[in-house]
Amino acid sequence: MAAKWIELVTGSLEQKKEYRRYRARIDALPEPYVTVAKAFHRYFMSGAAGIPEDDSVVTMLRDFVELWERAAADGTPVRDIVGEDPVEFADLFAQAYLGKRWIDNERARLTRSIESAEQTDRSVEQTDRREQP
Amino acid sequence: MGKQATEMLKGILEGIVLAILSVRPAYGYEITAWLRDQGFSDIAEGTVYALLVRVEQRGLVDVEKVPSEKGPPRKVYSLNAKGQDYLAEFWRTWSFLAERLEQLHQGGK
Repeated sequence: MAAKWIELVTGSLEQKKEYRRYRARIDALPEPYVTVAKAFHRYFMSGAAGIPEDDSVVTMLRDFVELWERAAADGTPVRDIVGEDPVEFADLFAQAYLGKRWIDNERARLTRSIESAEQTDRSVEQTDRREQP
Repeated sequence: MGKQATEMLKGILEGIVLAILSVRPAYGYEITAWLRDQGFSDIAEGTVYALLVRVEQRGLVDVEKVPSEKGPPRKVYSLNAKGQDYLAEFWRTWSFLAERLEQLHQGGK
């Protein structure tokens, strides 16, 4: 499912190779890191934290596997890496790689709507003042 | 560290980490260790890692990969010019807040 997703989103052969290398590195992690990394991977691919729409996804996954390789090499306890709230950690991590998303367009639209309403408001206010005797 | 402290810290952790990096380059674990020594015991290494990733993506730090005896190369972060500007802004904001809060605190007595 996850592999299918990335193949749909990422086009080039190079990216597909990169993704296969990433999967292999995840699989090569010792326990408990492999289980933890796969759990986060699943969460990322669900889109719950947001998915980078461009090449950043490749960078994100590479940094992600490196984080666990580092932790495995140092023997850092999983909880030390993840903290008390794994969801918060996952969301924070993914957010760093998110560029422009559809939600940003909606946010920009809301801001523009208020600005234009504000301008209408101002011109009405000025007309009102002029009309006063 | 209480829940309130953890919540408050979230907004300023980025400034703290950049301030640490302004003293000397460091890798993620060193930063977490320093924070823990200073009594910020609840900060997970992953939180610092995610934060470093974010400041890297925003171009506030430079990254150098240093080979390590085992495992992947360590990423050593250093503050660049853009990061220094950002940190200066952080300290201005911090001074403003600290001053106003102190006034409020004293006035409330």
